Amino acid sequence: MTTPRSVLIIDDDPDFAQAVGGLLASSGYEVMTASNGRDGLDLAKKAQPDLILLDVMMTERTEGFFTLQQIRRVPALQHTPVIVVSSIYTDQPVFRVNPDAGWLPASLFLPKPVDPARLLQEAARLIGELAQTKADQRHVGSVTR
Amino acid sequence: MKILKTPKKHLDLFASVLPAFGEVYAPVRRGRGYAFDRPALWSEVHMDYPRTILPPRKLFLPPRELMFHFDPTRGYRSLLEEAATPRVLFGVHAYDIYGLNILDRVFAQGPYRDPYYMARRQNTIIIGVDVDPDEGHFARSMNADFVDKGFDLFLSDLGDHWLILVGTSRGDDIVVKSGSLFEEPSADDFDEYKRRSTSRRAAYRTQVEMGDLPEILEMEYHSQVWEELGAKCLSCGSCSMVCPTCYCFDVADEAALGSRAGSRVRTWDSCLFKTHALVAGGENFRHTRASRIKFRFYHKQRGFVAEYGRPSCVGCGRCAASCPAGIDITTVIKMIRGQADAHGDRTTPASNPAREPVPAAPGAHLVHPTAGV
Repeated sequence: MTTPRSVLIIDDDPDFAQAVGGLLASSGYEVMTASNGRDGLDLAKKAQPDLILLDVMMTERTEGFFTLQQIRRVPALQHTPVIVVSSIYTDQPVFRVNPDAGWLPASLFLPKPVDPARLLQEAARLIGELAQTKADQRHVGSVTR
Repeated sequence: MKILKTPKKHLDLFASVLPAFGEVYAPVRRGRGYAFDRPALWSEVHMDYPRTILPPRKLFLPPRELMFHFDPTRGYRSLLEEAATPRVLFGVHAYDIYGLNILDRVFAQGPYRDPYYMARRQNTIIIGVDVDPDEGHFARSMNADFVDKGFDLFLSDLGDHWLILVGTSRGDDIVVKSGSLFEEPSADDFDEYKRRSTSRRAAYRTQVEMGDLPEILEMEYHSQVWEELGAKCLSCGSCSMVCPTCYCFDVADEAALGSRAGSRVRTWDSCLFKTHALVAGGENFRHTRASRIKFRFYHKQRGFVAEYGRPSCVGCGRCAASCPAGIDITTVIKMIRGQADAHGDRTTPASNPAREPVPAAPGAHLVHPTAGV
C-alpha cells in the first residue's frame, strides 16, 4: 500500500478550498488547507507536501507572490511543485506580465476559475515528475556511495 | 536617460516582478527603526522611512563574512560564488547610494579591489527613492542629496505617481519586463518633479559648511576639542557600525582545536575600538579615546578628501542618532570651526584655547584606503 500524495491549498476563499480540496481528496490525495500565506508557509515547512496550490490575492493582492518567494527560500521546498491559481489577471488587467515568462518561480499558473480536469491532470503530472526526480537522486546517491 | 512614471497604487504589482531579478530587500520595520530586509508582504515595506538602522553597506560588506574554507584533505573552497547571489535592493535613499559609490572607490576602483564586494555590487540591482529630510539629515551639505549614478532605477514622489529615472540597461530590463505598469510622463509631471525637488532641497534644516573643512582640520589638529570629545566618547563604535562608508574590518582564521581545517572570516571593525591600532609588540598608536575619535574625523573629513576628492560622510545622520554619548557630527564640525561649544551652542573662534603649531603633514598615514584593515 502506497502513502497517499499530499496537496496543500493556500487560499483565503473557503469555498474554493473546499471545492478543490474535495476534488483532490476524491482522487486519492491527502489535502491540507491554509487561509493565508504565513500559515501556508508554516504548514508547508512542517508537512512538506508533494504539491502546493497557491492563491495570489489573499490578505493583500500580491500576497501569494511574496509567499512563493518564501517557499522557495526553504531548502526542503525548493523543488516542491507549486501551481499558482489566481484571478489576478482578470482582477488587475493592468498587470500584463506573462506568468510563463520565467519571472514566477512556480511550476504552473492556472487562472481562476480553474478547470477541474486540467487541475487533476497537472497535479498528477507534477507530482509524478517530483517522484521521478527524487528516485533519480536516490539512484545517483546509491551509485556514487 | 529614460524617464517614466507609474501610479503609486501599482507599486506592489511592480514589486511582485522584482524577484525575477533577485532576492528583494526593502525598508521594513524592525523594532523602533527600519532595516533593509526581505519583506514577507508588500505592506511591510515603508517607502517613507527616515533612515534605516544600518546602511545598505551591510549587504555588500556583511558584518561577519565567511570568505573561504581550508582543509588539508579537501583543499581550499571559496565562498565567492555565494556573494554573487542576485539581489534587488529596493527603496534606497540618495545619500546611501552615494555611500555605495564611495565604497566603490575603495573596493571596486582602487588598487586593492575586493572580489567579494565587487561580486555583491555587480549582482545587486539598486532602486532608489526620494526622502523627505528630517532634523538629522544633512545630506544637502554633503552634496549627497541627489545622485546621478549608482542606481538602476530611481523613484521620485509626484503625489499620486512615482516618476522613475532609468539609470542603467539593467533598470531598463526591469521596465521592459513590467512594461504595462508604466506610462510616459507629461510636461506637468516634469513641472511637479521640479517643484518637489526644490522644496525637498529647501527642507534640509540641518546644514554644515564643508568648504574649507580639511584646511581648518589641518589648523585644529591639536585643538582642545578632541580632548573634550574623547572625554565624552564611550568608544563603543556605534558610529562606525551605522556609517554607510566606514569599511574597516578585521580578518581571522578560525579553526577548531586539534583541527587543521578552518575558515577565514572577516568582521566589521571600528577605529573607535581600543585595539584598532594595537600592533604586535603591544604598541598602540591610538590608545586614548581622544586620539581615536580624532582619527575618525580626520579620516572621513580630511584624509578621504585628499585621497578621493570629497569627504566620505554623506550626511545620513545615523552616527548622531546612534551615539549613546550624544556626539553629533554637525556639532563637532561647528566646534572645530569655532562656531559652537560641546553643547552645540554658538560661540566665538576665540574660545579654543589649545591652538598649537600645525605639524607639516599631520596624520598623513590616515588617508590610506586600507587604514585599519
